Amino acid sequence: MSSEPLPLARGWGWFALPAFAVLAAVFFIPVGYLASFSLRPRTGPGMVGDGFTAANYVRFLSDPFYLGVLFDTVMIGAAVVGICLLLAYPTAYVLARMRGPGRGFLIFLVLSPLFITTVVRNLGWFPILGDSGLVNWLLMSTGLTGAPVKLTNNTAGIIIAMVHTFLPFMILALVTVIQKIGVDLEEASQNLGASPWTTFLRVTLPLSRPGLLAGYLVVFTSVISAFTTPAMMGGKRVLVMSTFVEQQIRSVLNYPFGATAAVILMLAGFLLTAASLRQAELR
Amino acid sequence: MGSAALRIIVVLVFVFLLAPLCAVVLASFSTGAPLAFPPPGLTVAWYGAIAPDMASALWTSLMVGAGATLLSTVMGTLAALALQRGRLPGRRVLAALCLSPLMVPTLVIGVAGFQFALLLWDMFGITLADTKLGIILGHAAFGIPFVIRSATAAQAEYDMSLEEAARNLGASPVQTFLRVTLPMLAPGIAAGAIFAFLASFDDVPVALFMGGADTVTLPVRIFTSIEFSFDASVMAVSALVILGSMILMLVVDRLVGLDRVLGPGRA
Repeated sequence: MSSEPLPLARGWGWFALPAFAVLAAVFFIPVGYLASFSLRPRTGPGMVGDGFTAANYVRFLSDPFYLGVLFDTVMIGAAVVGICLLLAYPTAYVLARMRGPGRGFLIFLVLSPLFITTVVRNLGWFPILGDSGLVNWLLMSTGLTGAPVKLTNNTAGIIIAMVHTFLPFMILALVTVIQKIGVDLEEASQNLGASPWTTFLRVTLPLSRPGLLAGYLVVFTSVISAFTTPAMMGGKRVLVMSTFVEQQIRSVLNYPFGATAAVILMLAGFLLTAASLRQAELR
Repeated sequence: MGSAALRIIVVLVFVFLLAPLCAVVLASFSTGAPLAFPPPGLTVAWYGAIAPDMASALWTSLMVGAGATLLSTVMGTLAALALQRGRLPGRRVLAALCLSPLMVPTLVIGVAGFQFALLLWDMFGITLADTKLGIILGHAAFGIPFVIRSATAAQAEYDMSLEEAARNLGASPVQTFLRVTLPMLAPGIAAGAIFAFLASFDDVPVALFMGGADTVTLPVRIFTSIEFSFDASVMAVSALVILGSMILMLVVDRLVGLDRVLGPGRA
């Protein structure tokens, strides 16, 4: 928001109408329509019956298999966020404290994957992680393993590719915040006798909180809602909420149950965001 | 301080970030199986063997991206101006609603659009499934919020007195808008437009559900090739996509500045 509020005029308001109309037609009405399916019975493949029922929600929330899919989704999200934080913090710190011409080039390199469509980035992991890929070639030619280690078509592949997808976002969020932490604060801490580790733990890290929170929120919510990477890297063998919804709608043709899972996935994202923001305000 | 260890970690992070991109380029020149390492020899043959349906998928993606970007940029810019200047009831709530599609998984947008398209077909005979227009509309669901967000951020650092000066010097409201307001907001709007295009070109789920046999975007074509018909020409196309994306990135960096486009991240 600007410091001086813009003078408000009645006429400008009308310019919002086209966007409202389009968003209603392509988002609010379709999503509401889909959500209404979750309260209706299934009457056959690709059929949605009349009348209302809570049976779909009861079925999802009482079956360990479906709850397991939700649990796995959240655990993959937690793993990706954790690894991203560990890799991003040192990188962001070095970039934030760097001076000179090399810095712009390194930031360019960090951002470059973001311009490349996700499917192409995922594709690049197959020659590296596949059974006859680079990692297994190294492992087997050095005799560390006799048989290829499974790194694709499973959860490991999903996590590696998702860390790659979201690491630039985490680095960006942290660079912005660490840049604002004055070097003088770190110097003052060290002049007063604190070790570099103490300085990091007591000064730099606590002051990085806004960046950590922003990065965590973006990455966690994006990971649990992602579809492309779990589907490509999991090779139909790993079910997360999004691939489960796709399976119910396109293969099982159970529209009401697919809609139920979609609503639960949306709610999980909202609740997570709300809880994190609340915790950020409380501290 | 363990600055040597710090350096090693940072170098490894950069290797990790660039590895899959290098792997695509290397595999696209391999004479052996595209997913095997090391390549037994090098060839450019795959670039000549790119299937015609790949080229048409790229064309579909570019058309869809252009359409979605145009629609999102016009609607999003107008909405951002209206939300900040108009005397709308419940402006804050309306602004939050306009950004809310960014909090919903794109898969849900795709599934909802697909179901709604079936309803429109049943009730009014309107065909949106398996058309470019259907995918464009689906992409506008997140393109419009992206543009609203960037254009709003641009207005926050906006100097209103310039508009008043233009009016005092005799410019009409339309002249003021075209010669003062728009040029000042242009970098923010451009950043939003680029983000909308990148999001459209990145999307699989919406194009998967709204598309069909006749309307296949390039990401969907590559996505399905992993399951069904993988050959090395997919790597060649992907390497060309990397080249094109890098060129786009250099142009954007020159014109708008990368940090403006990607600054705050998603959501």
